[in-house]
Amino acid sequence: MRFLKEARYSLHVAFHPFDGFWDLKYENKGKLRIALAILLAVTVTMILKRQYAGYVVNYNHPLELNSFDELKYIVLPFLLWCVANWSLTTLMDGEGKFKEIVIATGYALLPLILIYLPNMLLSNVITLREASFYYLLESAAALWFVWLLFIGTMTVHQYTVTKTIMTMLLTVVVMGVIIFLGLLFFSLIQQIVSFVYTIYQELSLRA
Amino acid sequence: MKIKRAILFLAAVLLFAGLSPKLAHASPYEGYTYSYWGETVHSPIAYLPSKTITGQEIGVGPWSSPADLFAAPDGYLYVLDSGNGRIVVLDSEWKAVREIKKFQNNGKQDGFNNPEGLFVTEGGHIFVADTENRRVVELEGSGAFVREITAPKSEVISSNFEYFPRKVIVDKAGRIYVVARGVFEGIIEFDSEGGFTGFMGTNRVQFDPVDLFWKTVSTKEQREKLIRFVPIEFNNVDVDLDGFIFTTTADKQTSAPVKRLNPSGIDVIRINGNIGPVGDLSRMRSAFIDIDVSGNGVYRTLDSTRGRIFTYNEDGNLLYVFGQLGNQQGTFKNPVAVESSGNRVYVLDRDQGRITEFAATKFGSLVNEANGLYSIGKHDEAAKLWKEVLRLDANYEMAYIGIGKSMLRQGEYKQAMTFLKLGNDREYYSKALTKYRREYMREHFGIYMTILIPLILVVIAVRRSMRLRKGELKQDAVSQGG
Repeated sequence: MRFLKEARYSLHVAFHPFDGFWDLKYENKGKLRIALAILLAVTVTMILKRQYAGYVVNYNHPLELNSFDELKYIVLPFLLWCVANWSLTTLMDGEGKFKEIVIATGYALLPLILIYLPNMLLSNVITLREASFYYLLESAAALWFVWLLFIGTMTVHQYTVTKTIMTMLLTVVVMGVIIFLGLLFFSLIQQIVSFVYTIYQELSLRA
Repeated sequence: MKIKRAILFLAAVLLFAGLSPKLAHASPYEGYTYSYWGETVHSPIAYLPSKTITGQEIGVGPWSSPADLFAAPDGYLYVLDSGNGRIVVLDSEWKAVREIKKFQNNGKQDGFNNPEGLFVTEGGHIFVADTENRRVVELEGSGAFVREITAPKSEVISSNFEYFPRKVIVDKAGRIYVVARGVFEGIIEFDSEGGFTGFMGTNRVQFDPVDLFWKTVSTKEQREKLIRFVPIEFNNVDVDLDGFIFTTTADKQTSAPVKRLNPSGIDVIRINGNIGPVGDLSRMRSAFIDIDVSGNGVYRTLDSTRGRIFTYNEDGNLLYVFGQLGNQQGTFKNPVAVESSGNRVYVLDRDQGRITEFAATKFGSLVNEANGLYSIGKHDEAAKLWKEVLRLDANYEMAYIGIGKSMLRQGEYKQAMTFLKLGNDREYYSKALTKYRREYMREHFGIYMTILIPLILVVIAVRRSMRLRKGELKQDAVSQGG
């Protein structure tokens, strides 16, 4: 029951973002488990959408669908965003804690579920001519999500509008930097491993 | 005991399988098509090599680097034997009928010098692109000289213009179209009198932002050493029954190697699917060197990269692929020309001096016939044949679309949707869905409404009663508090 009550609160956040995110931070109404549950639900929604969206709008090759891809395209970017945003805002004196960032970002994802799921059902009965409605709703969901993320970031860090926009843009840049560093790190590790392995091979063949 | 018997049985089966004769027509290549997703899909072989012939076998002496081939509607096959400067005419039994080598030009003995292109009109006149002599020669069917058409003369052509005609075609109105070496302006067009009228159907210059970047940063000296930006020249042409000109461009960068030009030189080729007529979808692109238009808008292109013949229908859908480079019978070393007549396809091999004839297999002729009916709009008759095609190749997407469209016409919307989905035709699937949706709603509207209206009424009633109770509670609270 408590979980349901908390879940209902996330709806309140989606429809009344200013009020909602404020209470989220200062009234301790945001719960980490709800944020993670939303993240999970979004992942499931995307998997369902790729598989079951109407044929008219579904351009996925059925043989190439892989649910693990959603981890790459949703869960990883989510975590990256949170980490990048946290690292950046600590330097730019934002007030948000890491937990708060995760919660705010998670709650901001809710519109994706709210719109994608009905839209998926709708897409099964629409024709090519009506497909633009489908795409309209898709973009509406994306815009709503960005809007919530914007309000969330602004409230959590107590920033001004311009500073929030700047932070969000920079966060994207930092995400790129983190990916770059990660790849660099892995590539170096790989080279070290192969170097050690070569030496081992050399020695073992000589012995 | 059981295992022993099973092993014995298996051995016997294997023994018999080994003894049974091989397929009568082992093919030197595999049949395949491309799916909607651009993946290669195995497909039965549509054409098999049936005969090959060389100059010796006919008895006219070996052909030396023959360059072009023409299959006339009357069944005669004209071979342009460039190295020997002659035309050899074969009848449908592949017997040499005529050999045209010399002709009288204004009382003088004249001949060809390394001609590269050949065209025979419906009236039986032979046009030869006599490349090294820099002219197009028109002969009568018997070989008598009619006229020669020399380099175009016009103010738009510069004085140092080098004219080397390579291919020639003549349309129904007698207009002559010449593809010449190193001419980037397009196809050279002459009127029926042989007077130059202009260029048509120029290939666009390919724009490449990377090249542009290097051009802007390089110095003048470097720039001069770069390759100049010029449009790509056409390398072959054919004309269809409606007078449209099909051209090929052997450039591996272009996305439109095949063009269908209308009389004003605009490309009007139809591409229905998401993959146009580009040949193989691998990194090593196909280079088309010849094109042959047969009936019903079907055209075949000859790829010199892998020696394959790609056959497309009028919508630009790939029907089937056959042929390959190799040393076996039925494969080529250096194919240069493709022609077709009826259910036969002829490919001329320049290095081997040999013509290979391909005959349609059961699958090939079924596809040809079904596509023919389909293209003239006889969808229902075509659907019967498409079903046969599917029995031979369950991956053949065109067949699913064909059957789907026929079912859509017959009003079987649900089934049409299934087939059109299998054939990956979203446009017609959507049409079927529209019809099906309407039909479904007409049938089930009553039921839905019978459920929906009471449901709404119940919800309203419940909400009202809830509100009433809340109001009572409030009143109670007020009265108690008071």
